[in-house]
Amino acid sequence: MNPPLSTWDTRKTELELPEEIDLQVELANVGSRTLAILIDLTLGGLVLFIVYSLWELLAHNISEDWFTKMSSHVLKIVLLLLFFGFQWCYFNFFEWLWNGQTPGKRLLHLRVIKVDGSPVSGIDVLLRNLSRPVDTLGPMGLIGLLMIFINRKAQRLGDLMAQTLVIHETAIDWSIFDQMEAVAGGGSTTPSIRLNAKQWELLHRYLNRREKFEYDVRERLAQTVYDVLKRTAQGTDLERSPLPPEDWLVELARRT
Amino acid sequence: MTLGTFVRNNRPRWQRLETMLSFIETRGPSKADRPFLRELSALYRATTGDLAFAQTHYRGTTLQLFLHQLVARAHNQIYRPHRLSPYILGKFIFHEIPQAIREHLPSVTWAAIIFLMGIALGLSAVQFDERAASIILPNNVLNSIYSGKMWTGSIFSVLPAPVASTYLFTNNISVALLAFAGGLSCGVITAVILFQNGFMLGVVFKLCADYGLLGAVLAFIAGHGLLEISSIVIAGGAGLVVANALLYPGRYSRNDALAVQGRTAVRMALACIPALVTAGCIEAFVSPSHAPIWFKAMLGLMVGGCFWAYLLLTGKTAVKPPAK
Repeated sequence: MNPPLSTWDTRKTELELPEEIDLQVELANVGSRTLAILIDLTLGGLVLFIVYSLWELLAHNISEDWFTKMSSHVLKIVLLLLFFGFQWCYFNFFEWLWNGQTPGKRLLHLRVIKVDGSPVSGIDVLLRNLSRPVDTLGPMGLIGLLMIFINRKAQRLGDLMAQTLVIHETAIDWSIFDQMEAVAGGGSTTPSIRLNAKQWELLHRYLNRREKFEYDVRERLAQTVYDVLKRTAQGTDLERSPLPPEDWLVELARRT
Repeated sequence: MTLGTFVRNNRPRWQRLETMLSFIETRGPSKADRPFLRELSALYRATTGDLAFAQTHYRGTTLQLFLHQLVARAHNQIYRPHRLSPYILGKFIFHEIPQAIREHLPSVTWAAIIFLMGIALGLSAVQFDERAASIILPNNVLNSIYSGKMWTGSIFSVLPAPVASTYLFTNNISVALLAFAGGLSCGVITAVILFQNGFMLGVVFKLCADYGLLGAVLAFIAGHGLLEISSIVIAGGAGLVVANALLYPGRYSRNDALAVQGRTAVRMALACIPALVTAGCIEAFVSPSHAPIWFKAMLGLMVGGCFWAYLLLTGKTAVKPPAK
C-alpha cells in the first residue's frame, strides 16, 4: 500500500463569482485550523504573561513611593484591558484589519472568506468571533471540532451564523512550468506524441522536480510516472524502447 | 492549444497581475493610482477568461488551481466591502442598533422574564432557608452581611476606582457577550446566565433586608443598577433571538434563519458595550461614595432613561446618504 501523497485535506467547495465562473477553494482542515488557533493563543498568552510579570514585580516592590504604586495600578488596568481585549477583540481586530487573517492564520496560509467568495466585512468577523466561547474555546472546542468534521463546508456554528468559510491558500509556484522551455522542442524529427493536459502536466512536474529527490525516490517515481504514461506511446517506436524509465520520460517530453 | 503554449503565451500577464496584487495587498488600494487600477481590472478580466478556458480544456491540472487562486485573490481586492466611514458608523449606531432592538422587543421581554424568575427564586430561596445564599455568594460577602456591614466598603477601599471600574466593565461585557453567544447553544447558556444573575440579585436583596442593610444596598445600586440590568437583559434578548432562529426557523432554512437573525442579534449585543462601560464607571466612582441617595437615584434614572430613549426613539426617520 502506498502512503497517502498528502496529509492535507483536499475537501473542496465551489463558489460562484459575478463573472459566472465557479471558483474552487480548498477548505482548511481541522488540524490547520486548530494549529492556527494555538499559535494565536500562544502569541496573546505571551503578551499577557509579560505584562503580568511586570505587574507582579511592581506590586511586590518593597519601596512604597507613589510612582511604584501608580504604575502598578496602571499596569493592572492595562492587564485587565489586555486580558479582555485578547478574549474578545484579538480575533475580531486582526480578521477585520487583515482581510480574514490572524497572525496564526497568516502563518498557515488560512483565510476567512464569505460563502459567496467575497471578503469578510466587520459584522461577519464579529459574528464568527463573538461566538468563539460557545464553539472554540475550552471544552466547548469539541463542538467546533465536531462541526468542522461533519459540516460539508467545514463551518463551525460561528461560521454558519456569519456565513463564512476558512480556506487554505496554496502558494502559486510558477516554477513548475520553468523547465518546459528547456525540454520541449529538442529539434527531433521523430513523429510527435499527443498528451492530454493532465498527462502533460504530470510529465513536466516530474521532470522539473526530479533533481530535488534522493536517487532511489527518483527512480521509483520515474517508474510510477512511466507506468501511467506508457500507453501514450502506443504505436510508436518509443513503445518498445529499452530506455530506463527516466530517460524514457525525457525522450517522451522531447517528442510532445 | 496545448497546455504548454497556453502557459507560454499568458504567463507574463498572470505574473504581472500577481505582482500588482502583492503591491495592493501590502500597501492598500489608496496607494494605487488610476492607470494602475485600470490595468488591474483589465488584467483581472483577462485572467478570469483564462480561468474559464482552463476549466474547459485543462480540468484538474495544477494550472487550473493556480488560476483559481489568482482570480480569487484579485476578486478579494476588487470586491472589497465598504470601508469604515463616519456615515456608515453613524448609520450603524443611530439606525441599525436601535432598529434591531425595537424589532426584537419580544425577545428582550422574554429575557427580562427569565431574569425576574431568577430574582423571585432568589428571594424565596433565602426566605425558605438562609443558607441558600452560600451557593451563590462568596464567603467574605456573606460574613460582612451577617455582621451588618456592606461588603462593598472593603472591596472599594483596596482597589482604586479606575482599576475597579475597568474590572467591573470588562467583567460585565464578557457576561453580556457570553449571553449573546450562548444563543448558539439553543439558548441554554443565555438562560443560565440571565437566571443566575437574577438569582444573585434576589438573594442579595432578601439577605440584606433581613440584616437591616436594605437602605444601604439600594443606595449602592441606585446609580448603576438600571443601566447594568437593562444591558444584561438586552444581551440576553440577543441570545434568545439566535436561539429562536435555531429552534423555530419558520419559513427559512435553519441555516438562513441563523444567518439573518444573527446579524440583527449582534447589533443588540453591541449596544450593551458602551452602556456597560458607563455602568462600570458609575459603580466604581459614584456608587461607593458618600453622595446622597437622591443624587445616585437621579443619576441612575437619567443614565438608564437616556439609554432606553436612545434604543426606543432614535433612528425612526430614513437615513440620508452623505452628499457627494
